[in-house]
Amino acid sequence: MLKKVPQFQVSTCLGLIVSILFFSIPVSAADKPDFSGSWTTYRGNGGAGAFAAPPGEIKLTAEAMKARQDFISVTEGTNHGAGNSCVGYGMPASVLGSGGYPMELIQRPEQLFSIYEAHNEIRRIYIGDEAEDPSTFFPERNGYSRAHWEGDRLIVETSRLKTQVDSRYPHSNQATIREEYYFDTPLEDGTRVLAAELTMIDPLWLEEPFVTTKRWQELSDYHVMTYECSEPLWLDEMEQLYKDAGLEMVQE
Amino acid sequence: MKSFFKYSVTLVSTLLFSASLYAHHSAAQFDFRNTVLVEGKVMEARFANPHMRLVLEVTDDARGTRDIEFEGHSRNNMRRQGLMPDMFTVGDTVTIRIAPMRNGNDGGYVTALRTPDGEEIGRVTGAD
Repeated sequence: MLKKVPQFQVSTCLGLIVSILFFSIPVSAADKPDFSGSWTTYRGNGGAGAFAAPPGEIKLTAEAMKARQDFISVTEGTNHGAGNSCVGYGMPASVLGSGGYPMELIQRPEQLFSIYEAHNEIRRIYIGDEAEDPSTFFPERNGYSRAHWEGDRLIVETSRLKTQVDSRYPHSNQATIREEYYFDTPLEDGTRVLAAELTMIDPLWLEEPFVTTKRWQELSDYHVMTYECSEPLWLDEMEQLYKDAGLEMVQE
Repeated sequence: MKSFFKYSVTLVSTLLFSASLYAHHSAAQFDFRNTVLVEGKVMEARFANPHMRLVLEVTDDARGTRDIEFEGHSRNNMRRQGLMPDMFTVGDTVTIRIAPMRNGNDGGYVTALRTPDGEEIGRVTGAD
């Protein structure tokens, strides 16, 4: 037998449900800062330093120093290098320097795309529920990046990195990197300034966490260019094939 | 025989050293402190990333006439500095400023193009 539910109880329950739904929904992404834009390394109000490395000292363990020294011993003074093979910098060098080339950010509510001009290097930073379990992805030079908002700051946690001896920030595959993006004080002319506080920890290769802050200033009306790099390698290969066959290559 | 090499010492800012830290490869083999001018006939010019390749036919007293291959900035940065492919047409004679090889071998890193009126287009700093 059905009991009659008092009217006030129904309305109270509905109110509760609506309240729970309302407050459990993440704050609208529209309320968050939009970092989209073209950025270059912070130069301040007219100062130099486009290529200046952010401050911070990296303290390597003995194991890391040996690995780094081995790499230097086979490459120093030569043309051998990741960049010369059209390989991107990888984290954290991609975010901290990337050859001094500009960076473009494109932001969607669920994803931030960092596009570093050099080598067309791209990072996909998955925000909120868009992120998945990093352990199900292959390790990469830029790792797997998950992010969430804390107020107006975007907190990015990167793991699944590959061991890199060919970086100026060497690290093992156990390294993890935390970035905290926020808008800093703008320049005198109103130009926006973006900052990222970065901490890299590595139980195998770092004696202590590597901590630094990278700043950029916005480039208005600026074209970040594409960066075709590997085509010449293919053209050389094609040229040799045509030459061996006694044919004339017409492709430029 | 007329020597085509003219030597000049260039003061290099600290930017050079910090820039080279981010270079695509070690720039240690190039001497950016003692850049020199080289004149030669363009045999090949490939504007590419990560570095341009330029081959000049060069003649000097010491080593006679031969083709020398030079390296340069990425084509992205060359464009930003105003260095475009039509400035390096095959068959043209050009004068470039280079950071020579430290070991004295032929070759080097192109830092600028000198126009007939003496203007230098490019960035005389470090490798990119």
